Amino acid sequence: MKKNKALEKIQQRCQALYEDLNLATVRAWKAEAPGRKAIGFMPVYIPREILHAAGILPVGLMGADIEIIRGDAYFQSYICHIPRSTIEMAVNGSLDALDGVIFPSICDVIRNLSGMWKMMFPDKYSKYLDLPQNFTPGLAGEYYIAELRTLAADMERLSGHRITDDALRESIRLYNRNRELVLELYDLRAEKPWQVRTVELYLLLRAGNLLPVEEHNAMLEAYREAIEGEERQALDNSRIVLTGAFCEQPPLGLIHTIERSGCYIVDDDFVLGSRFLTAPIPEEGDPVANIAQTFLDHAMETPFVYIAEKEKGEALVRQCRRRRGEGVIFSAASFCDPALLDQPMVSAAVEREGIPYTEFKYAENTGQFQVIKEQTGTFSDSIKLWGNE
Amino acid sequence: MTVAAGIDIGSSGVKTAIFRVENNGGENNGGETNGVVTNGGEKPVETLLAGRVDRLLRRNPLTVAKEAYQAVLEAAGLSAGDVHYVASTGEGEMIEFRRGHFYTMTTHARGARYMVAGAEAALDVGALHARAIHMDPRSKVLQYRMTSQCASGSGQFLENIARYLGVTLEEVGPLSLEAENPEKISGICAVLAETDVINFVSRGIPAGNILRGIHESMAGRYIRLLKAAGATGKVAITGGLSRDTGLVGALNRTAADQKMELEITAHPEAIMAGAYGAALWGAFRHEFLARRGSA
Repeated sequence: MKKNKALEKIQQRCQALYEDLNLATVRAWKAEAPGRKAIGFMPVYIPREILHAAGILPVGLMGADIEIIRGDAYFQSYICHIPRSTIEMAVNGSLDALDGVIFPSICDVIRNLSGMWKMMFPDKYSKYLDLPQNFTPGLAGEYYIAELRTLAADMERLSGHRITDDALRESIRLYNRNRELVLELYDLRAEKPWQVRTVELYLLLRAGNLLPVEEHNAMLEAYREAIEGEERQALDNSRIVLTGAFCEQPPLGLIHTIERSGCYIVDDDFVLGSRFLTAPIPEEGDPVANIAQTFLDHAMETPFVYIAEKEKGEALVRQCRRRRGEGVIFSAASFCDPALLDQPMVSAAVEREGIPYTEFKYAENTGQFQVIKEQTGTFSDSIKLWGNE
Repeated sequence: MTVAAGIDIGSSGVKTAIFRVENNGGENNGGETNGVVTNGGEKPVETLLAGRVDRLLRRNPLTVAKEAYQAVLEAAGLSAGDVHYVASTGEGEMIEFRRGHFYTMTTHARGARYMVAGAEAALDVGALHARAIHMDPRSKVLQYRMTSQCASGSGQFLENIARYLGVTLEEVGPLSLEAENPEKISGICAVLAETDVINFVSRGIPAGNILRGIHESMAGRYIRLLKAAGATGKVAITGGLSRDTGLVGALNRTAADQKMELEITAHPEAIMAGAYGAALWGAFRHEFLARRGSA
């Protein structure tokens, strides 16, 4: 009973953080000590360790399902939704708590958004973080280490704190722990998907966008403990790997819909930055070089990462096998170039392996789920009834 | 031997059924039991133990489902522990005691084939939607088409019309069948059609002619759905409107007019198709999971 209350408390906190579009949590954190700074970052991945080592709060920005009044004026109709809601929140003051925003290289839309940011908010810090697409250690390593040192210098200037190697190693340790805790929950969900509901796991990850890593780690540990005391009924659902949602996030209702239609999501790419590095960053040695090298050696294979030698889709097939997925749902944001350009290659790869798949598109403000429910429901049925054929 | 229950929550009622399935041999023959021998020559036996329909009447569907399940258990002389698999369908995915959920189309295909031997398609006409489902001999859905979210041509629409005309739902079919001069409805929009009906009433047109006109308008839409889904041969009507003899008559007439070789029939228990199908698929899944050691 006590554990149930603990779980309920975590769920309520996560839900409140998910709904905190005005960043009240960030304002409260900044108000606790004078001079604190918070920097937003767009999906998917930035080295949050560097910000943390400078005493800066990294704040993950993932758009919102809000009414767009001014945001549409900045983008063509054939552009995804997340830049519209981000601009909307920026111009309506929701993001005022931020002292700057980092735009990692993921697609042209996010790159252009970084340029617009510079023009619209010249007094705020704005950086386009050009993550390497060449993963060879020599040139790419040198380039990325230089890029990270520039970022570190920016963060030192902004915060007024020098980033010592020890501080950065401590930040690496905390984020390594964070990735470890997230992956443990992903493993547990794959093992007992009825026990770790995807909606809960998703909200936990979203909470990490706003909370300091120390607090988020404690929350993840508390959830793990609370969930072990829960007895949840195992349903006869199909096991699905969901892919394509690495940047613009689907509305919560869509995740609910997929789960309720008879699918257990046993792996996904929601809030992917939380586990974009698939191995821990070494905690000894040159911390900046370690961050760079781990990125080069252990970046997750996703649509916005250039893959030279291997076949696109191999990683998804491996993921499916490892998670005992019975099918794949390609769920990408409308007009998401990286996801949709990859999809033919990736779907061909799963098809070759005889893994059934279905596909649909969404936007972060999609409000009608009946058609998706019908599609995922019948997909789940077909796996359960005819999956062996 | 497997005992499985199916619970179908629709927009106006809850349908509940319990089956005992024997000699299935663990194969997914999905309704080929109607005349097809599997399992080494021994024909699977699917026995309906109990079934019932409960109108929602503004009650909480989950509460109604729970009560209905208790009632069918009692009627079958079983306790909850005797049932190996409870399958939900329709809007039943929130039923707490379910083991699994199957989508409406999947269960109606199975239920239709259970009730109408050799059915190659099902036409599910409920309170809010209509779906044409084309399936193979094992109830595997090959193709489907459904109406949009517009209320026109649905059971709810027909209920409204019956109320305007002052007739009971039971009278709708016979009145339509007896009518000789159907009054043509000008459009498929529910709002405009209802306006038409009010005009017909004020002009003194008999209720039967109005109903037949509506049935023919609905039948036209449904036949187009069946055609688009690639339906041929025997078609089993399922869902709440399967009881409407006027609609069945109009469907067969329209199919004949369009020279489509469809034999459209409504089983007396056609409204139970979703619940029956859910229970039968549930029985299959139980056996499948049992073989895998995870039942």
